[in-house]
Amino acid sequence: MIYEDMGRRLIDTDSGLVDRAIFADQAIYDKEMAEVFEKSWLFVGHESQIPDKGDYFLSQLGREPVVVTRDAKDEVNVLLNICTHRGMPVCRYDRGNAKLFTCPYHGWTFANNGDLTGVPLRAEGYGAQLDRSKWGLIKARVARYYGSIWATFDEAAPSFEDFLGDMAFWLREFMMAPDGEDDGLEVVDGILKCEIPSNWKFGAENAAGDLYHDVSHKSVQRVGLALTKLRGRHTWDADPAKFKLLNITFPAGGHAVRGNLYENPGRDYQSQWAADPEVDAYFRDAHYARQKRLGEKERLLNRGGIVFPNFVYNAANRTSITSWIPRGPSRTEVWKWIFVPKKAPQAVKDAMRNYLLRYTGPAGMVEQDDFENWGSAQVGANSILARRLPMNYQLRLGDHARWAWPERWIGEGALVDEGVSEHAQRIFYDRWAEMMSGTPQAFRQEAAE
Amino acid sequence: MTSEASQNILPADTAVATAPTLKERVEDFLAHEAELLDERRFDAWLDLLDEDIHYWMPLVRNFEHGRPQDEYSRPGVDAAWFDEGKATLRQRIMQLQGGDHWAEEPLSRSTHMVTNLRIVAASDAEITVKCRFLVYVNRREEEVRLFIGKRTDVLRPHGGDFLIRKRSIFLDQSKMLFKNLTTFF
Ligand code: FES
Ligand SMILES: [Fe+2]
Repeated sequence: MIYEDMGRRLIDTDSGLVDRAIFADQAIYDKEMAEVFEKSWLFVGHESQIPDKGDYFLSQLGREPVVVTRDAKDEVNVLLNICTHRGMPVCRYDRGNAKLFTCPYHGWTFANNGDLTGVPLRAEGYGAQLDRSKWGLIKARVARYYGSIWATFDEAAPSFEDFLGDMAFWLREFMMAPDGEDDGLEVVDGILKCEIPSNWKFGAENAAGDLYHDVSHKSVQRVGLALTKLRGRHTWDADPAKFKLLNITFPAGGHAVRGNLYENPGRDYQSQWAADPEVDAYFRDAHYARQKRLGEKERLLNRGGIVFPNFVYNAANRTSITSWIPRGPSRTEVWKWIFVPKKAPQAVKDAMRNYLLRYTGPAGMVEQDDFENWGSAQVGANSILARRLPMNYQLRLGDHARWAWPERWIGEGALVDEGVSEHAQRIFYDRWAEMMSGTPQAFRQEAAE
Repeated sequence: MTSEASQNILPADTAVATAPTLKERVEDFLAHEAELLDERRFDAWLDLLDEDIHYWMPLVRNFEHGRPQDEYSRPGVDAAWFDEGKATLRQRIMQLQGGDHWAEEPLSRSTHMVTNLRIVAASDAEITVKCRFLVYVNRREEEVRLFIGKRTDVLRPHGGDFLIRKRSIFLDQSKMLFKNLTTFF
C-alpha cells in the first residue's frame, strides 16, 4: 500500500520502500501519536506487579502518564495520572499501596479506582455545586490477558480481542510457563528503564522480524551467554532438531512473530542449562509437559514478536517485555519487564534472572548492540541528503508469503514466510500506513493465494 | 607562599620514610584501579577482583516518604543493572576486547573519579570503604555520559595490596538517562 501525506510518498510496501522522514519528521510524529498510539491498545504492565488490593505502579500509555491500580473490588484500573483540577500528577512514586491519591497542589483526593472523593472548600468554596462524579481521574478501557494488562483511552477502538486477532495464540503462548501452563510467568521486581536516541519504530520493527542483523551480535555469540556450556546466546542453540524458521505476520493488526517450526513432533529435550543440573531437570520436565499440553502446536517455538505498535516480547527462555515509549521523533524511552516461571524452584528463577540480566536492557550484552544500531540508524534518518534514498525493505520481496502456511492452525489470518526476509517489516509499515491514512487495507500483493 | 608555610612541608625523605596509613593505601589502590579502567587495561583490572566478587548495581526507584527500603532493588532477587560474579564480568571484558562489540567499538574515553573516601569498618580480613564516584564517558564525537553516585566496597588484604571482594554501586538515576551501560564502576 502507498501512504501519501504532506505532499510526498512515505510508504510503498509493494516496492519495499519507506521514506526516512517517518523516523525524523515532527509533523509525522505528531500525527502518528494521534492516529496510531491513541487508537491502539497498549501494554502497561503485568498483574504480578500489583498482587494485593491497593497496590499500584506508574506506567505510560503511549506518551500519557498513568497509574495502574488494583482497587478494593480487585478490579485493575488504568488512570491518567493527572489531577482534573490543574493537571498535576497525583501519584509520584514508582509503586506502592494506597487507597487514595491526594493531589499535592490543592488537595483534591481520588480513590484508587479514580473517583474524586474529596475536595477542600467544597461546601463554602464551591457552594456544594461541584459534581464530583464528573471530575474523577480519566479512566482508560482496560483488558487483562493471561496476566498482561492493556489499555486505551479511545472509546471508539475495537475490543482488545478484535485488536489482537489471531495474534492471541502467540501472546497467550508467551505468557505461559515453560511447561505450557497458562499465565505461568511472574515479573522480576524492578523495571529496567532507559533512553535511546532514536525513533521508536526502529526497536519495534526489529522485533517484528529482523533476523538479518547477526553481525551485530557477533561478540556475544563469540563469548557465549547461554548456560548450555556451549557458545551462543540462545538456549535453543543447543537443539540439533531440524526446524523451519518462520516469519508469522497478522496483516489485519500489524502484529508479527518469529518462530521455529520443528519438522518432527515429539522431539527430545536437549540439555539447555547444563551448567546447573537442577535447572536443567526442570526444563527437561517442562519440555515434555508442554508437549503433552500443546499437542500438535508443541512443534512451534515462539522466539518473540510484536503486538502492534510498540509491545515487544522475547520468548524461549529470554522472557521479557519491552515497551517502546515515544518521546519525540528521535527519542524513545525503553521500559523492560523481565519474567521467570511463577511455580519453578528458586534455582530456576535465579538462573533465568541471571541469564536475562546479562541478555537484556541497556546493561545486557545482547541489547547494548541493538540500542547502538538504532541510535546510529537515526543519524541516517536525520540526514536530509540521505533522504534522497528511501529505506530499503526489499529483502525477499516477492510472492513467497502464504496465508496460514505451512500449517493452517497457526491462524487463518496469518501471512507467513520462511527464512530471513523483511516480510514482517513490510507488514508492520503497511499497518502503520493504514492507520495514518485512515484507509482500509488494500489487497496485499505479497500474498499469493 | 610564605616562608612560614613552606617550613611545614616535610622534606622528601621523611615523606617516603613515613609508612602510609591504611586509608592512604586504600586511596592509592582505588586510584590505581580507576586508572586501569581509564587506560582500558581490563585484564589487569580483572586481576584486582576477588574470585568470589559480588558486583552489584541495583535499580533505583522513586519511593514514598517513610519507605526508604523501596529505593533500591534487592541483590540476588530483583532486577538490577548489574548483579554479577567474576565469571560474567570476565565475559563482559572478553566481549569488549574483540573489536566486534559495536556499542563499544571504538572504545569510549573515560575518566573515573573516586572521592569522599571513608573507611567504615576494618578487620584483618576485610575493609569496608565508602566513597562517591564520578565517571565521565565520551564516545565517538559527541556521545557524553555522566554517572554519579555512591559506592560501598569490601576489600580483602592480598599480598601487600587488596582484592575487591564486594562492590555495591548506587547510581543516582532511577531511569538510565543513556542508551547503554558499557562502563565499569
Ligand atoms: S491541581 Fe490537583 S488539586 Fe489543584
Ligand atoms: Fe538484536
